[in-house]
Amino acid sequence: MLEIKNISKVYGEGTAKVVALNNVSLRVNEGDFVAVMGPSGSGKSTLLNIIGGLDHISSGEVILDGERIDNLDENALVDIRRGKIAYVFQQYHLIPSLTALENVLLPLTFCGADKKDQKALDILKRVGLEKRAEHKPSQLSGGEQQRVAIARALVNDPSLILADEPTGNMDRKTGKEILALFEQLNKEGRSIVMVTHDPEIAGYAKEIVVLQDGQIVDKVNHAGGNKC
Amino acid sequence: MKLYQVVVKDIMRRKKRVLYASLGVVIGITTIIAVLTIALAGQTNIYGQLEKYGANLIVMPAISDIDIGLGGLSLGTLAVGDNYIFEDKLSEIRQISDGKIREALGIEDEGDIATIAPKLYMNTKVNGTFVIVVGVDPQEERQLKTWWKVSQGKYLEAQDEALVGAIAAELLRFNVGDKITLNGGEVTITGILEETGSNEDYQVFVPLETAQQAFDKEGLVSSIDIRALCNACPTSEIASAINENMPGVRAVAVKQIAETEMGMLEKVSKLLLALAAITLAVGCFGVVNTMTTSVHERIKDIGIMKAVGASRNQVIKIFFYEAIIVGVAGGLLGYVAGTLLAYIIGPLIFGGVAVTYVPQYFLPSLALATLIAVIASVYPAFRASKIKVADSFRSL
Repeated sequence: MLEIKNISKVYGEGTAKVVALNNVSLRVNEGDFVAVMGPSGSGKSTLLNIIGGLDHISSGEVILDGERIDNLDENALVDIRRGKIAYVFQQYHLIPSLTALENVLLPLTFCGADKKDQKALDILKRVGLEKRAEHKPSQLSGGEQQRVAIARALVNDPSLILADEPTGNMDRKTGKEILALFEQLNKEGRSIVMVTHDPEIAGYAKEIVVLQDGQIVDKVNHAGGNKC
Repeated sequence: MKLYQVVVKDIMRRKKRVLYASLGVVIGITTIIAVLTIALAGQTNIYGQLEKYGANLIVMPAISDIDIGLGGLSLGTLAVGDNYIFEDKLSEIRQISDGKIREALGIEDEGDIATIAPKLYMNTKVNGTFVIVVGVDPQEERQLKTWWKVSQGKYLEAQDEALVGAIAAELLRFNVGDKITLNGGEVTITGILEETGSNEDYQVFVPLETAQQAFDKEGLVSSIDIRALCNACPTSEIASAINENMPGVRAVAVKQIAETEMGMLEKVSKLLLALAAITLAVGCFGVVNTMTTSVHERIKDIGIMKAVGASRNQVIKIFFYEAIIVGVAGGLLGYVAGTLLAYIIGPLIFGGVAVTYVPQYFLPSLALATLIAVIASVYPAFRASKIKVADSFRSL
């Protein structure tokens, strides 16, 4: 469903030039659960942003469901964010003035579907937070906030979920609960690309891609157990 | 959940910020509303005084007084000699006045329309004290001086009766039933007026013919008051028609006198309004500033919203909704503050004039404030819409 071909990303110019990604190619099929690993500064987050059309590339192609999305304009990218792809961030990135329920409703608001409270409640129930629906993010624990963020990602029923260090701010036990949730979503048929620097967390994925200095240095496929 | 609800919830969390943003608008609107409210109070005051005068037009002998002036500045008038209008000109004046009114209102009524009240002013000694005796047409005068109330006795009816102003009655110890001598003629006081607060309080009113006979002024009057009794009546036209067609008299529309005074008021108001507009423009930049700061502060929120599906237009809308709230808040506060300011400053400027709040200014002040806030938000909103999601998260 998603293919990136020979992409490079360069920040800055001249002596300040930083090559974040160098000729990276990757394929994510339907139902895949890919972990992108690597030390900080290796270009993992940049890769994730590019996959989701949040960042521009310097060269190469990003193809989603057979269509190039790297050269799409802002409006077309908005359509992709409203349906096919959703994000989960390390910092949760919830809107502090809105309750858990309202944060989940936000993507629907932007789509123009403003009377879907029940749908949002059902999804909150799925992530085990139906009793926290009226709480503001500041009244929720880190794990709970991330569940709200996951619920928000799910509300538009995306086929691909991009997660950037989703458990980075949590203790091990909470992190495992979140990862279990991701595994479950993956079993339902959603593709997941998750960035992490933690091998144990990466172990939850079916496939691990290791990035270093902007290049893919290793690919491990758990499902088949083979190196590619 | 609608987009505006998202904005409202966010603003509730940043109330102080929003109030601060609206401050620029508040100051501008306050100044404008204060100036307008005070100017209107001044205007109402002038009109009120005119209304009290009763007449819309005054016809005087053409050379009864000399204007004392310096360039365009009037220093008042100097009365010289005895000048009168012949009473027989009344019918001609009536013809012109009623004709003009019929023309203006498109009516063909044959009866009298305007109230035309001739007067003969005489200064004379009564019981050893000088008083002004005014000969009037009792019926016409009654229609002109709608505010007259007789406190004792009755209104003028017969030729040998007199009506006395409240203060004149008090000073000269007149009572109803007293007989007084006017330059030979004798009249009986049949009524005393309630105090009106004008110089009528010092005058003695008798029927016109009685005054004419007593002072040997048969067929003469000092001035003629005309009351057109309608707001749309062409008083200036009547005045110029009388001036053109009747030599020897000068007609002045009271409105013209008022306009001179109004003109001054208007000039001052315009100057103040110009200053207020500058204040508003400066305030507008203040809003641009706070809004731009607001964009910087909320880069992350904007990034999140874009990441979960907000389009550029929706981001712009969010800022415009915020601008509308800032504008409405600013307009509301500005209206209240401006009105309060007018209540404080107005009486100082116009010497105790009663300032009243003007409800008609409320909606326009909201609209103007909103317009300014929206204009001030165009650039910040545009900048916010250009924020790239990846950049917004990187900047943290």
